[in-house]
Amino acid sequence: MKRILVLEDEPLIAMDLKLAIEDSGHEGVTVVTNAEAQNVIDEDGIAGAILDVSLGGGETCRQTADRLWERGIPFILHTGDLNRVGEYLREIDAPVIAKPRPADDVVAALLQLVA
Amino acid sequence: MDKGDDNKRGLRSSDQAHRPIYPNQSTRMSFEGASGLLFEQAMAQTRMAVCLTDPHQQDDPIVFCNEAFEQLTGYRREDILGRNCRFLQGPDTDQRQIAKIREAIAAEEVVVVELLNYRKDGSTFYNTLHLGPIYDAEGRLTYFFGSQWDVTDIHQSRAEERHAKALAREISHRMKNVFAVIGGIVNITGRSMNAKDVSRKINERVQALGRSYEPTLDDAALGTIQVGQAIRSVLEPYDPEGDRIIFKGNGVRTEPNAISAIGLALHELATNATKYGALSNKTGKIEVAWAHQKDKLDRNSLEITWVESGGPAILGEPDSNGTGFEIADTLLSHSRGTLDRSWNADGLRALITVPIANR
Repeated sequence: MKRILVLEDEPLIAMDLKLAIEDSGHEGVTVVTNAEAQNVIDEDGIAGAILDVSLGGGETCRQTADRLWERGIPFILHTGDLNRVGEYLREIDAPVIAKPRPADDVVAALLQLVA
Repeated sequence: MDKGDDNKRGLRSSDQAHRPIYPNQSTRMSFEGASGLLFEQAMAQTRMAVCLTDPHQQDDPIVFCNEAFEQLTGYRREDILGRNCRFLQGPDTDQRQIAKIREAIAAEEVVVVELLNYRKDGSTFYNTLHLGPIYDAEGRLTYFFGSQWDVTDIHQSRAEERHAKALAREISHRMKNVFAVIGGIVNITGRSMNAKDVSRKINERVQALGRSYEPTLDDAALGTIQVGQAIRSVLEPYDPEGDRIIFKGNGVRTEPNAISAIGLALHELATNATKYGALSNKTGKIEVAWAHQKDKLDRNSLEITWVESGGPAILGEPDSNGTGFEIADTLLSHSRGTLDRSWNADGLRALITVPIANR
């Protein structure tokens, strides 16, 4: 069983992803902010992450993406605005999954990277 | 900048392109010879606002302007002659453009700048100013020539277009999030009621519907949907490698109201293909084509053909997923459309027909 981080400010989407992760036999940890994500990355051994790009209030998942990148932990970007990914996260080479997409598909895409 | 700001500071087009010029014969600078006469008459007739300045006089004053210049700026000739052009500037005039003018004058070069100018009544307009040196027969600098064209309309429509695009993008983003949240609600509810299969089916249809509307939001301003874009968005998840579904069609557009029925019909076809048809093995292909046609009753219709090949042999209509097609049939019949299905042994052939009001 692997531990998967979900950074998502919309609770229903976060919950849906967490349940889909559990269905696939793994554990999902949901967080709302970059600061929380940082703690989880530092303390728990996570195997991969699903990052919502736009976290509200103009904040993006940039900080968390950088931290995961440094540590070589695979992640995917999950967003409703593909243009904005280009603007904010141009240099980050991670798969992008456009919202809306069934949670099972999003989780399956990440698990391919983790395996 | 939005239009509200423009109105507040009195931005107004003078409709330069469409307003006739009635030459004022009273006070005119005269130019010598036959070509001088031609010049005078041409300058009096043209809608292009024109002025000449004399760089040999103190502060490079305007020494000639035509009728169109007076109409554009609202000043009369006696207010204009003898003054430097800068009297048309105001607090919101972009000083970077002014600097370009200054450099061009110093270097005796031609320059075109777009700047905000002020009329006598304080209203403003965007002016495309073309400025360049005029030399005499001996090659000595004689005048600077300035022509002015009111581009306020263009400027405003550009600003409005930018605004509309930003707005459409924001709506599109929020809409996608709303559909993602709906997906979450359906899944979580289905799970809590031990109806995961049902919730998955509901969700697939809701999400197909959401995808059919993506292109509408992206060019919301036009009021119609590019059919091909909607078809591609709906079918994209069923062909993740992008090599199984072949799209054939041009940029025909249709009203958005038909698109939910079309989107759901395509979803049912793709779901069926994934379970029993061309997408259920590794070799099958689907060709999807769309075009405007006349239907049996001579109405303009949108026709989408769906041809599967290379899949497993088809023995007839599968009975287990009849309900999905029933939903599509019902929705289409509401728009006076049809979904014809021929269960050929080498693959399903389907035809979606939806009448359209205009082409």
